[in-house]
Amino acid sequence: MLRRLSLLLVPACLFSQAGDPAASLDRVAEVATAMVDGDVCARIETPRSRSFATKKDPRDPWRGSDNYDVDDASFILTKKTLIRLSRLCAAACDVNLWMPLSSDSGKVQVVIRNVNEMSQFWPWGALNQEMPPEMKQVLGTGKRMTVRRKPGMISVLAPVYDSLGDINGLVEVVSRLRPDPRENVK
Amino acid sequence: MIPSRWVALLFCTVRLCAATDLTVLPDSFRFGPTGQVIEPDHTAGAEPAHKIVLEGARGGFVSCQLAATVSLGAYRLDIKPFAADSGLQVELFRQWFHYVPSAKGYFPDALVPVRVPHSATLPDPDNKVPGQTAQPYWVDIWIPATAAPGDFSTTARLDAAGTTVELPITVRVLAASIPAEDAIVIDHNSYGTSWFAGQYPKLVQKVGPGFYDSPEFYALIQAYHRVIYEHRGVFHQLGYGHAGKVGPEFAPQLAGSGKSKHIDNWRAYDRHYGPLLDGSAFATTRRGPHPIPFAYLPVNPEWPASQVSWGEPGYEREFVNVVSAMEHHFREKGWTNTRFELFFNHKKRYKGFSWDGDEARFAKDYEYMREYARLMKRAVPANSPVKFVFRADVSWTMERQFRDLAGVVNFWVCGGGMFNWYRDAARTLKERGDIVWTYGGTPPVTKPASQMTTDLLRTWLLGVGGFVRWQTVDPGEDPWFHFAGGGETLVYPGDRFGIAGPLASVRLKIQRNAIQDITLLNSLSGSRPLDALREAAAQRFNGAKVDEWWGTRPAFADTDPDDWSNATIDDATSAQAKFANNIDSNAWNRVRAYVMESAKEVK
Repeated sequence: MLRRLSLLLVPACLFSQAGDPAASLDRVAEVATAMVDGDVCARIETPRSRSFATKKDPRDPWRGSDNYDVDDASFILTKKTLIRLSRLCAAACDVNLWMPLSSDSGKVQVVIRNVNEMSQFWPWGALNQEMPPEMKQVLGTGKRMTVRRKPGMISVLAPVYDSLGDINGLVEVVSRLRPDPRENVK
Repeated sequence: MIPSRWVALLFCTVRLCAATDLTVLPDSFRFGPTGQVIEPDHTAGAEPAHKIVLEGARGGFVSCQLAATVSLGAYRLDIKPFAADSGLQVELFRQWFHYVPSAKGYFPDALVPVRVPHSATLPDPDNKVPGQTAQPYWVDIWIPATAAPGDFSTTARLDAAGTTVELPITVRVLAASIPAEDAIVIDHNSYGTSWFAGQYPKLVQKVGPGFYDSPEFYALIQAYHRVIYEHRGVFHQLGYGHAGKVGPEFAPQLAGSGKSKHIDNWRAYDRHYGPLLDGSAFATTRRGPHPIPFAYLPVNPEWPASQVSWGEPGYEREFVNVVSAMEHHFREKGWTNTRFELFFNHKKRYKGFSWDGDEARFAKDYEYMREYARLMKRAVPANSPVKFVFRADVSWTMERQFRDLAGVVNFWVCGGGMFNWYRDAARTLKERGDIVWTYGGTPPVTKPASQMTTDLLRTWLLGVGGFVRWQTVDPGEDPWFHFAGGGETLVYPGDRFGIAGPLASVRLKIQRNAIQDITLLNSLSGSRPLDALREAAAQRFNGAKVDEWWGTRPAFADTDPDDWSNATIDDATSAQAKFANNIDSNAWNRVRAYVMESAKEVK
């Protein structure tokens, strides 16, 4: 009886491995490292905008956000690549671009998000934020990392390289096990 | 010697008799849980009374608030119907006391409909207000357009502890009628429908996992439109997120890509919008079945065309094909009374797109709007009976956008504070056929109730067409016992009370009554100069002249907006604070008295 049950379980496990969402996301993340151009990414936020990123003004708490600006061509070029990468995922996913702040290496900011607005790291509305340890590790080692921080969500973080071979950003390839068609419609 | 227990009994009986009371306030002052006027509404003359006379024009409501004061135990409240031939109809609502931790107090706002006669107990075991001895009720009295002018009386009656208290209510119906179309549009904005699940847990559980595809779901959407419409407002639901995700019921289902992208089906869209756009969703209302006057389109930088093709022929083809099909569908359905808004809500700070659709600050972003205007022109036939408008919500650079986007944007929703700097703007924009509204927030329950009327009056005084309250359906996680104040809501989920729809609020009704007054006053402009009506209303509201409602264009308005900050803007708009923060509780009563006197004088 047990032997017969084992025979049934083996193909079930194989199927489960083949459909493993983390594996699918990891493959997309690997491709993203090859395809996303770190030099273009570095030009997305304008120098003027960067100068406001960490400035504090007690009379104007939104100063950084109100002055946030991007170079359109670099943004759109990269966003198109990220959208195309997301189409490689087996299920609905987003490919987000993250970059450390030039003025504060302990902080990171999401630079491009995509249509489903999924992320395990972005607190809604944050212009920039403390560097999560997982991102720090990816930026330091160049190794992809699978993250399951929030229930029902999987992200794979992968490095983005510039032409010098330096890691200057990372992508978050993220999916939900049970997508909600109305989530983030707000 | 009298036994002590008899003394105690005698004392209790006297106290019960003395404690049973029925008092009344006009709509503008609110009762607290012991039957006194709550602190924010304190002002000379704000005293509970034992009778009331309400004056109103035909085709509208008059309202008052009753407080049943009972020291302990059960009571019954009844209001006799008005004489049948009067046509007057009474509706009664129990007021919920919300505990606001930041103010450490209880404030009435949510209105639970009750039938008369109504039996209850005090303190209310559900509301759990410590020391509660009074339960306030909102009384709405509908005066139909066909009512005969004259005085009509009824009686409210409270029975408790063997005591009966009666309170006379007289409604003086004027010969004047409130026009069906309001002088100003008060818009109530909201975002998506995902919040239904959190606000209606009982309904969602009852319907089951298919809730978001169920008749109950679509009925709930319509119920929100209906409650706002009944209160002379407009309800808006934005159906997409900051990176372009569209809720299934806010857009037709698409299929294909590039030149083959097309509308696959209209099932969810038509279930959602059909009854709203043909007006049938409002068939049971007193105002009658009218199509919603405005609706957001689902169009955004990612829908119907994907950003992956931005700037390429495929983007234009996807956009034009789908929007053309939408125009065709709307035309076939006869949905030609609604303005469909092309509106971009995204901000680049949220990292979905490279430009600001909402409150654009940088001039380079205008180019995107020009491109979308071009695409719309390609998609919509010039002679289409379907009304498409291009709406922009503007703040920082509104003055430049008025100039640079002339002929592109034709529906402006302007930040209220900065708009005051540009006193010629409303006239100039309206002269070229544009719609002009302003936007802002909603006074919380902790402010004087009269503050609900400030933005309404400003809208009318400045000659602006409408005012948008940017969020009106978010009462917070626990509106009942741990309330943030209601600055982002004017309705409450009825789920707690077994009602599959929204509850109106005291503030919503105060707002409705003020819209009626403004509309009635505006209608008198045929016999008196409109400017004189405005000056008189402004003077009664807070003693100011209309001119003072405008601000002064600051010198820095001529500098590069990139150099502005919120701090400098706040400094330049601070003079307007007297129109926001120092409005006394009687402000609207004075305006209403003027409206009624004026309406009586006009033959």
